[in-house]
Amino acid sequence: MNNIFKKSSISKEIARKIENNQIKMHPKIYFVLKFILIVLIVLFFALFALYLISFIIFSLKVTGVWFLPKFGFGAIFIFFKSLPWLLILIAAILIIILELFVKHFSFAYRKPLIYSIAGIIILTLLGSFMISKTHLHSELFLRAGDGKLPMMGRFYKDFGSPKLSDVHHGIVSDITKDSFFLETAKGEILTIVINSTTYFNKSEDLKEGDKVVVLGKRNDNSVSAFKIRKTNDEFNIPREQRHK
Amino acid sequence: MSKSIKQLSDENIAQMVQSGKTNFFNILVKRYEAKMMRYAKKFLFNHNDIEDLVQEVFIKAYTNIQSFDASRKFSAWLYRIAHNEFINLIKKKGKEPVSFFDIDALLPHYASKEKADKDVNEKELRKMLDKCLNKINPKYREPIILYYFEDLSYKEIAGILHIPISTVGIRLKRGKKIMRSIYQKLDNRI
Repeated sequence: MNNIFKKSSISKEIARKIENNQIKMHPKIYFVLKFILIVLIVLFFALFALYLISFIIFSLKVTGVWFLPKFGFGAIFIFFKSLPWLLILIAAILIIILELFVKHFSFAYRKPLIYSIAGIIILTLLGSFMISKTHLHSELFLRAGDGKLPMMGRFYKDFGSPKLSDVHHGIVSDITKDSFFLETAKGEILTIVINSTTYFNKSEDLKEGDKVVVLGKRNDNSVSAFKIRKTNDEFNIPREQRHK
Repeated sequence: MSKSIKQLSDENIAQMVQSGKTNFFNILVKRYEAKMMRYAKKFLFNHNDIEDLVQEVFIKAYTNIQSFDASRKFSAWLYRIAHNEFINLIKKKGKEPVSFFDIDALLPHYASKEKADKDVNEKELRKMLDKCLNKINPKYREPIILYYFEDLSYKEIAGILHIPISTVGIRLKRGKKIMRSIYQKLDNRI
C-alpha cells in the first residue's frame, strides 16, 4: 500500500509541477547550440594542439635539437635534456582535454579509451608534421626576428633561439681540402674543420650551396667537426639564400 | 483512448511530449517510476532521499526531452540520466569511492559472452546479491544491478554507463568474484 502511494506521489508531483510551469522544457535550439559549442571547443583545442606540436617540431629544428638523434647514441641524452618540456607538457594537457571531450561521443566510448587516445595522438602528430612542412612557423619566426610579430614575437624568439652551442646550421659557401666555410643565419662565416674522426656519409658529397648541420666544438670562428649532415630546412640559413 | 495509449511505445510518447503534449510525460513517469525506484534503492542503498532523487531524474528527463533522439531507446536515455544523478549524489556524499579514471575502460578486454554469465548458479547468485551487493564498489555494483535486476543487455548497459561492451563483461565478472569472496567470508563466520 505504501509502495502504491509512493508511486503515485512521484507522478502526481511531476504532473503538478509541469502544470504549474514549475519545470520548463529546454527548447531544441538550446541543445543544438550546446552541441555546436562543444564542437567549437573541440575544434579550438584540436587546432591549438596542432599549432603547438608543429611549433615544437619547428623549434626543435631551429634550435638544432631535432638533429641530435641522427648523430648517434651519445647525443640522445643531450636530445632529451634539450627538449622543450614545458611545451610538451602543455601539448599533453591539450590532448587530455581533447580526450575528455571526445570520450562523450558514442564513437569514442563504445571502444576502449586507448583507441580514442591513440587516435587523437596519431592525428595531432600527423597534422602537426604536415603543418611543420609548410612555411607557417618559419615565416612567423622571420617576422618575429624583424620585430613584425607583436603578440607572438617573444614566444618565437624565446623558443626559436639556438640553445645548443655545439650544433651549427648554415649553408656551405666554399670548400677547401680539409675544411669548408659555413654561412650561418646570423651571417657569420664559420670554418668547419674536417679531420679523421669526423663522421660524414661519403655518399652525401658536399658542394657549395648545400644546407648542412654540423656537430662540433666551436673555437672562435672555427669548428672542429664531430659529425656533419645535410638538411633541407631553410630557416637556419641566411635570408637571401632561402627558397632557392 | 486508454488502450491506444498503452500500445504506444515510449519513444512515440516522448515524441508527443516533444511536440508540446506535455501531459503525456506523466505516462512515461508511471511506466518507469517503479524501475527507477528499484534501481536507486539497489544502487544507493545507504541514502534516505531516494524518492526525491527519482523525482529529480524525471524532472531532468522532462527539461531535456528535446535532446532525446526518438530513433533510440527511451529507457536507455532515462537510465543514463538516472546514472548521472546517482553518481553525482555518491560523489557529493563522499561515502563511497568513485574513480575519475577507470583502467577497465582504457584497455581492450576479452569478456565472456552474455549468455554464459546468466548460466552461473542462479540460486547462489541470488543469495550473493541479497547479502553482498551493498558491500561492493559502485563501479561493479551498478552493472550488476542493471544486468540482474533491470534485465538490460551488455550493449544497453554499455550505452548507459558510457563504457565499452567488453568492460561491462569485465565489471560483471569482477563484481561477482568480489561478492563471492565476501559471501564466503560471511558464510564461514556463520
